[in-house]
Amino acid sequence: MAEPTTAERQFDAEALPHLDALYRVALRLTGDASQAEDLVQDTMLKAYRSWRQYRPGTNAKGWLLTILRNTFINDYRRRKLEPVATDLEAIEPHAIYRNIEEVDPEGAFFSQIVDEKVLEAVDALPPEFREVLVLSDMEGMSYADIAEALHIPVGTVKSRLFRGRRLLQAALYEYAVETGIIPARKGAR
Amino acid sequence: MSDAIDCREARDRLQDYLKEELTVERAAQVAAHLERCRHCFSQARFEESFLLMLRIKSQRTCCPNALKERILEALRAEREPG
Repeated sequence: MAEPTTAERQFDAEALPHLDALYRVALRLTGDASQAEDLVQDTMLKAYRSWRQYRPGTNAKGWLLTILRNTFINDYRRRKLEPVATDLEAIEPHAIYRNIEEVDPEGAFFSQIVDEKVLEAVDALPPEFREVLVLSDMEGMSYADIAEALHIPVGTVKSRLFRGRRLLQAALYEYAVETGIIPARKGAR
Repeated sequence: MSDAIDCREARDRLQDYLKEELTVERAAQVAAHLERCRHCFSQARFEESFLLMLRIKSQRTCCPNALKERILEALRAEREPG
């Protein structure tokens, strides 16, 4: 086998370590393990072929996640099957903090919910909220990098995150009350 | 203090503050508010638990080994001369 070139070595060193993150995001976007696997493989091949466009030492993870997200939108998302987008700006979930400040002010209940339930609740978010939440809060991308990847203003990233987090908190709160992790609010139900 | 913010404003900015996404000036306003408002300070702890939990839960999933191998194989094929 031929010696790897400098570019190949750089790719191996900078891109390959992010396979776990790519797979996690692919799982959340597609909601399906086998599609997620194909999406990650397509992403890595695309990234390899356009590696010249990447500036070594910059944010490889963000660059790869951008390719993954674009590939998902272009090749995987079955637009026709998606329900008509709801008016996202109209979703104004109320803060659940008020329900809980007396029983669990520090939000200890969050960490008591099994991983699977949390991921299910994430998957149930409207796609526009889910993708920003996964990129920001699960994979640590900056608001600016997300805005660039999604071609939306930073303000939109912020407002989607704000609403998405509220919806997720509400879903997890409901689950925690149903399963007795936290007592129901006095007076409610 | 002229640039002091109220509880509503502080709460609206809490998550961005915790994500270190505010300008230095705005972050300082939130920090100053949290120092004197126990209620908002408590909510900040709550939001912090939420964000931390998301980060921890997500990091437990890894790329399956079979997929890693498949990708390395595909890359090798891509690199084959000719």
